[in-house]
Amino acid sequence: MTAAAHEAQSPHQDLHESTGVENRKLAMWAFLSSEFLFFGALITNYLLYVGREFASGPKPSEIYDIPFTSVSSFVLLMSSLTMVLAHNALSRGDQGATRTWLLATAMLGSVFLAGQVFEFTEFITLENMTLATNPSASAFYVLTGFHGTHVAIGVIMLLSLFGLSKRMGGLTNRQFLNLELVGLYWHFVDIIWIVIFTVVYLLTAVPGAS
Amino acid sequence: MADEHHVAHPTPAQYVKIAIGLAVLTAIEVGLFYLNDAVQLGWINTAALLILAFLKFVIVVGWYMHIRYEKAAVSRFFTFGFALAFSLYAVVLISFGVLAVSR
Repeated sequence: MTAAAHEAQSPHQDLHESTGVENRKLAMWAFLSSEFLFFGALITNYLLYVGREFASGPKPSEIYDIPFTSVSSFVLLMSSLTMVLAHNALSRGDQGATRTWLLATAMLGSVFLAGQVFEFTEFITLENMTLATNPSASAFYVLTGFHGTHVAIGVIMLLSLFGLSKRMGGLTNRQFLNLELVGLYWHFVDIIWIVIFTVVYLLTAVPGAS
Repeated sequence: MADEHHVAHPTPAQYVKIAIGLAVLTAIEVGLFYLNDAVQLGWINTAALLILAFLKFVIVVGWYMHIRYEKAAVSRFFTFGFALAFSLYAVVLISFGVLAVSR
């Protein structure tokens, strides 16, 4: 067993806290809490325009591909499972399984991103709906684009943890907390998509759009 | 030190069961979407979809983000942010008359 693996078996030593919750963890919860306001603004912006009529181009709600987005949603939902399994594996000191689940989570996140690129490409090339087509299209691209950016940042953090673990032979005590923070971020990205999938896709798609 | 570890976290098998539950809820959501295409369910469809999404939200936050095992302060902190955002934007949507956005 490497030193890193041995240290990871007691992952909650040397934590800094004055509130009963480790400081960096509390900061992450505060950040995620503030992100509700960020995504809330973008979702609200979309809802303000979705019911309006525009002279130019289609609205996103008229061209959604619900079966495709449902599969993407399922993929992102399952990435939360692999993320929590990575967390669980590291808390048991199983460095190999941790790396496997981290990589699986990054791959599922990448599949979700590829799906989003495909969806955007279809909308732009086949449906002629660009960022500037109408306010509803702009709101849609900005909302889902920012969510996709969050997923991409998450994938980079997951791959960084994977690379670090591979290079050092395992994640250390301090890095256990990093994995926990990345996990919180990743699950948050998932719950935001849960809301977007229901409110933006399922509730606003016009009949027959799928 | 946080008292989050006094309660045992779920096992990998339990995490998988939770994921299956989430997948089933998603399948019900998509099924409802198509049912509403065939038979207009109106506000029932809207309410059902929102309840299902809320259930998925709570399950991920509670079990995958481990908020059930955290200090109460964390839970209050997170809930406050969510409640603040929800209230603020609900007021905006009501003001513009689009809260009843539906198909």
